[in-house]
Amino acid sequence: MRLLKPRVAMAVGVLSLASLVTLVILGLFVAPPDAVQSDAQRLMYLHVPVAWVAYLAFGVTALASALWLWPRTRSMVWDRLAGSSAELGVIFTALTLVDGSLWGKPVWGVWWAWDARLVTTAVLFFLYLGYLALRRIPSSVDARAKRCAIAALVAFADVPIVHFSVDLWRTLHQDGSVFNEELDAHIHGVMAFTLWFGVLAFTLLYVYLLDRRYRLAALDEEREEREVALAIAERVAPQAPPVPTPAPPVEMGTPR
Amino acid sequence: MRFAEYVITGWALTFATLGAYWLRIVVRTKRAEATLPDGEGE
Repeated sequence: MRLLKPRVAMAVGVLSLASLVTLVILGLFVAPPDAVQSDAQRLMYLHVPVAWVAYLAFGVTALASALWLWPRTRSMVWDRLAGSSAELGVIFTALTLVDGSLWGKPVWGVWWAWDARLVTTAVLFFLYLGYLALRRIPSSVDARAKRCAIAALVAFADVPIVHFSVDLWRTLHQDGSVFNEELDAHIHGVMAFTLWFGVLAFTLLYVYLLDRRYRLAALDEEREEREVALAIAERVAPQAPPVPTPAPPVEMGTPR
Repeated sequence: MRFAEYVITGWALTFATLGAYWLRIVVRTKRAEATLPDGEGE
């Protein structure tokens, strides 16, 4: 029913909360303003980590889906994990777009640009929104899991396109300054530390939320199974014999 | 702080969204646990 043991889940939750509070202090008060972007740069301490978690969440969804499709490892655990992680991925992708837009207005002068990185990220968001809608279509458990697993693998093809879009096309969005080929962040000191700390904090939060969402998915499935079993039991239960109704009394003198 | 309106909005919106999502999961889990037969769910 759980991904993590309750004590481990609690520890991860407390750690993620503590690290997020620390991130707020580092990102808003300790890190200096950027020489070019000024304080708008502070949004990058959110934008980059939530984008990373979105990639991670969709990666976990794809891996779990592949494990469900592989006959030797097929288990509902993978389907549940894929669905839970995809939901988190959609939320983190939405936050990536919103934080990016809030950064874009003061730095680029626009809320939105038809730029390759932005468009492919929006496509990613809608692909996985469609995946979540697909999960809600009523059908047998196996049929749903199969079509969702295939859809998740197809949708995941967009993740490398999003990541490499800044190299494949000439874009307004800057090149990878953190997750580049050398994994060498082109920023230094407190700013780099804050950014990496943000990645750690949001990764911990992802693990904690994934555990909680997985448990909820398991509980929902159990409830559905109980309801189906109850409905079947009611239908196959032997019908009680009809209670005989007494015949109306025949009055004297009534013609036959 | 320059661009404070964008920065504060971004941080507040991010944490409010994640907090609301966490709360929704907690409430739904409690509700689902309440419907479980005794001794199940762990």
